[in-house]
Amino acid sequence: MALAFFARLGQTVFVLFGISVLVFLVFFATPGADPTARIAGRNASPETMALIRHQYGFDRSLPVQYERMMGRLFITRDLTSFVDHGERVVPEVLRAAPVTLSLVFGAAIIWVLASIGMGTLATALRGSLVDRGLMILGLIGISMPVFWLGEVVNLITQSRLHDTWMFSWVPGLGYVPLTQDPVGWFKVLVIPWITLAILFIGIYGRVLRADLVAAYSEDFMRTAQAKGLSASRVLFRHGLRTSMITFVSLFGLDFAQLVGGGALLTEVVFGLQGVGRLTYQALNNLDLPLIMATVMYSAVFVVLANALVDILYVLLDPRVRDAR
Amino acid sequence: MSAILLIPRRSARRSGPWSTAAATLLRDRAAMIALVGLLLIIAACILAPVYAHDIAHTDPFDSDVAATVTLNGRELAVMQANDNPLHLGLSPLGPTWHPSAYLLGSDSQGRDVMARLLYGGRNSLLVSAAATLLCIVMAAAVGIVSGFFGGLIDALLSRMMDIMWAVPVYLFAISLSIVTISQGLRFGPFTIESDNLLLPIGIIALVYVPYAARPIRGRVLSLRNSEFVLAARGLGVPQARILLRDILPNVSSTLIVLAPLLMALAMLAESALSFLSIGVQAPKASWGTIIQDGQGLIYTRPMVAIAPGLAIVLTVLALNILGDGLRDALDVRETSRRRG
Amino acid sequence: MIRLALALAIATPATASAFDIHRGGTLRLTASSGVDTLDPQVSYNSQSTELFASVYDGLATFPKQAGRDQPVADLAEALPVPTDDGRTYRFVLRPGIHFSNGQLLTVDDVAASLRRIFRVGSPTAGSFYGDIVGAQACLRSPATCTLAGGVMADATARSITIRLEHADPDFLDKLAWTHATILPADTSPHDAGDTALPGTGAYRIVSYDPRHGMVLDRNPFFRRWDAVAQPDGHVDHIRLDYGLDEEAEITAIENGQYDWMYENKPLDRLGEIAGRYTGQVHVFDLPSLYYLAMNTRQPPFDRLAARQAVNLAVDRRAAVLFMGGPGAMLPACTMLPRGIAGHVKDCPSMGSDSPDHLYPDIARARALVTASGTQGMRVVLVVNASRNEDALGEHIRETLSRIGWDAQVRSITPAVQFGYIQNSANKVQISLTGWDADYPGPADYLQVLFDCRNIHPGSNSSINISGFCDPVAQALFDRAGTTADPTARTALWRAADRRIMDQSPAAPLVQRRYVDFVSRRLGHYVYAGIYHMLFSQVWVQ
Repeated sequence: MALAFFARLGQTVFVLFGISVLVFLVFFATPGADPTARIAGRNASPETMALIRHQYGFDRSLPVQYERMMGRLFITRDLTSFVDHGERVVPEVLRAAPVTLSLVFGAAIIWVLASIGMGTLATALRGSLVDRGLMILGLIGISMPVFWLGEVVNLITQSRLHDTWMFSWVPGLGYVPLTQDPVGWFKVLVIPWITLAILFIGIYGRVLRADLVAAYSEDFMRTAQAKGLSASRVLFRHGLRTSMITFVSLFGLDFAQLVGGGALLTEVVFGLQGVGRLTYQALNNLDLPLIMATVMYSAVFVVLANALVDILYVLLDPRVRDAR
Repeated sequence: MSAILLIPRRSARRSGPWSTAAATLLRDRAAMIALVGLLLIIAACILAPVYAHDIAHTDPFDSDVAATVTLNGRELAVMQANDNPLHLGLSPLGPTWHPSAYLLGSDSQGRDVMARLLYGGRNSLLVSAAATLLCIVMAAAVGIVSGFFGGLIDALLSRMMDIMWAVPVYLFAISLSIVTISQGLRFGPFTIESDNLLLPIGIIALVYVPYAARPIRGRVLSLRNSEFVLAARGLGVPQARILLRDILPNVSSTLIVLAPLLMALAMLAESALSFLSIGVQAPKASWGTIIQDGQGLIYTRPMVAIAPGLAIVLTVLALNILGDGLRDALDVRETSRRRG
Repeated sequence: MIRLALALAIATPATASAFDIHRGGTLRLTASSGVDTLDPQVSYNSQSTELFASVYDGLATFPKQAGRDQPVADLAEALPVPTDDGRTYRFVLRPGIHFSNGQLLTVDDVAASLRRIFRVGSPTAGSFYGDIVGAQACLRSPATCTLAGGVMADATARSITIRLEHADPDFLDKLAWTHATILPADTSPHDAGDTALPGTGAYRIVSYDPRHGMVLDRNPFFRRWDAVAQPDGHVDHIRLDYGLDEEAEITAIENGQYDWMYENKPLDRLGEIAGRYTGQVHVFDLPSLYYLAMNTRQPPFDRLAARQAVNLAVDRRAAVLFMGGPGAMLPACTMLPRGIAGHVKDCPSMGSDSPDHLYPDIARARALVTASGTQGMRVVLVVNASRNEDALGEHIRETLSRIGWDAQVRSITPAVQFGYIQNSANKVQISLTGWDADYPGPADYLQVLFDCRNIHPGSNSSINISGFCDPVAQALFDRAGTTADPTARTALWRAADRRIMDQSPAAPLVQRRYVDFVSRRLGHYVYAGIYHMLFSQVWVQ
């Protein structure tokens, strides 16, 4: 077990190292990415350029620059941005994380509850019009580009119907910290939550229905029914519990990807200053220290979540457990 | 953020699997409607020049802010000045609902949105189809080699996949796009210019490889340990022959089911990249770039952004339904997992 | 008596706090993202120029009042008339001014701040202040910078004497620029980054985060010394929030959630705001040009005929329409915009063979391209990846194709584009770019953009993007720089402008106008030149 743990840890470190080297090299291979002139300001004299180049260490060799950057990112954690002078990137990422967490947590609650409701309802009424309707609705949810949906939702709630009773409560775009104003936090996030959740309700609802229907055909379900347990009881107690394995492992990976910055399009459209948007801005500004910090952050999340899901899978699924 | 895990329900196949599958598919009403819808969309996009030249009489790639159009005997400026006291702002013509001129209105450069929608659809379909094909070829290569040979090769390829897997798909695609689209890509003497469609195609294909390679590798792994492959090995059949005769045909159903689902994902990815203006580059258009054009008009002329979005939704929906139908017909159980 | 009282009321606009019924409240501003740095001597960003106007002071400043643009005395008692053939300036510091940390302002602070321009590596250290005696040594070796012989402080007389190597008629403008801000003498010689430095203005920065926002409140040590140089403020707090895009910002102001936005107003909303919120919209000329820079060292634009063809072919009225219509843009036919000395009105052609035209002449342009022998050549236009510039770039590509080239647009992320087009190593042929004046003088356009000394091959900082070095133009720049008489100087700049248009290293397209959109509750809107809306002068209650 310990060996497996260390092997996994070794792999994780290797993956992170690979990503960081890749990001670093790609940055310096990009023509025009040299940050000196941008830091120095427009029309800077050659002497000023030389001063900046030296101050920021751009006159050193690439391995030295890489080593210094990693040291400042992970050890001293005082790495500063090339664009917002003096802004430390590690605290910046940590400040963006609660925004993303707020967005993803809220959306996750909605999508888990709604998809369980949708999946069980569709299974209970399988073959009926309701079932078909729900599945088609789920597919439509999956098929919508989230940024487009967000734009349309904004058009309606911020402009077209903003002056009506329906949406006059909707605050301007942006984020309000939970600790500052819980009600404002909820108001500002509820629409992004729903927008982000729609896609996942579709996926999870459909996955759950498929699993539940499959579970009905399994032997133990038939036994349960044969014992005279009511249909709904069988569905909820037995079917749902076994189906949860796929559900939980899917959830772990999706959640990690979103927390790691995958919700970027939602964040961009709703003006939420989260990790995804931060990464996007860093990429657009070619701000290497911030790119490095955000990419490392998201990679750590996703790699850890992958490992966690693998472990959970082993623990949860009796078939995998017995096979070992 | 997006993956499709395909788990074979049975390893043994009935006789004549393809004809059975075709028959099942033909009986699937939803899949057939989706297929017809998809073909109609494709046909409409192919006929884009006919619409532009013979019906709307417009060049959707020629920006002309001073143009006028005659409708029901009235001459209208395509870019209409606002009659506010400050003389600020020009608004493009809104939807006329008249196919002969600016059916869906004009964009901010005086171009016919309907005609651009059809031309844009060509690029959206082309990019997502080509990316899907490329992705499946790469994923099949990785998955089959990895699953069949195992050992060091498998470990190496799996770690590479892990690296790609560790970055959220959209972040990965955006990073690659920003780097390549801003400068073009140079391989020694060869330069791929930034407006070349190969860039978004290659990027979208690449980022989905890990997601497609995993189920393929899993399928190959189970096949490798199946009785008939073990038997073939025992008989001393050459590896290449086993790969071609036993593995590949059995993986192909997985690949076919993957195709429409991947294409749906690719189309969404293309639209997202183009929306962030790092996908298809001007003067070319795609549904994503038209949404991006429309974003600047969303409050005044929302149709410019809404119409291409609806086109994406319809196309992706049709692809997903078709994918479902194929999966049922080919009897491959699927759980799909995807993006945010 | 009545007239006198009225005059007094005008002369002291809302000063004595007890009588100021508009005093107090919080001004809520919104912007997409923060400034590059809070260091006023390093920051080169129009958002910081606007904010720092009420936070920092120099010896001189541009008037914080509508309708004037000549520099006025700020921390100095008066602006000196230079002696010694225009090379020596002697300032006397006002007494009793304190920094926001309570420290008294002294002549040592002034001398140290002028040295700090070089020690911190201010972007304009070379171009604006390089003529101060000793400046060249400071540029070469910033750590040991003394400016000995260039800046002399006399504590007893509270005087500061600045000596220049050559006369510079624009020197007071340059001293009024934000980079010559006076900071406490003990300020670190490193870019202050996200930490706010003490200033002398009416407000001070109390918190800053480039992703979330900035908060300013009153400088407790501020006592008004001159209502034009540094007026007292009406609002108690200024809160600037970051994170929204411009579309969302407009909506937020319409809905009363913010009072003012920093970003340019999105073109599709101009009609809406001007029609429905006319009273909340303010429009001003901006000394800001969009132009095509043609690389005179790369084919086809190493040929004069090819460059002139571009100037003849561009449709400046169409460019105006692309960039927001006649209310928001003016056509620009020469490189000196409206509001700058030497500007020529209404885009007249300067002569029968002059290539500056409001109306395009495609036929002549095509003939010139043919004559240049570059027909069919591939021409790549580099633009910023932004909606407006992409659209305009696309239009110009069509024009270039029409006159005989195989034209293509490459749009590059704005973070990189400006450096990319300057670097001769990238062999950029033609690019769409803009130039905003730091101070309203012709030298800040013509000399900065076309002086031979501003060519630095292989560097991302080579502001003469065209690589244009013309002896005739250069001689005119040098003569204008040593001419004291304003009328004669303006005539020389006009001649230089004419020469540049004849040689066509650039094709001017449009001049921007500044469209400001404020909330319904915001009152007493004052627009002052490069500072735009004055945050200290508006009120919210």
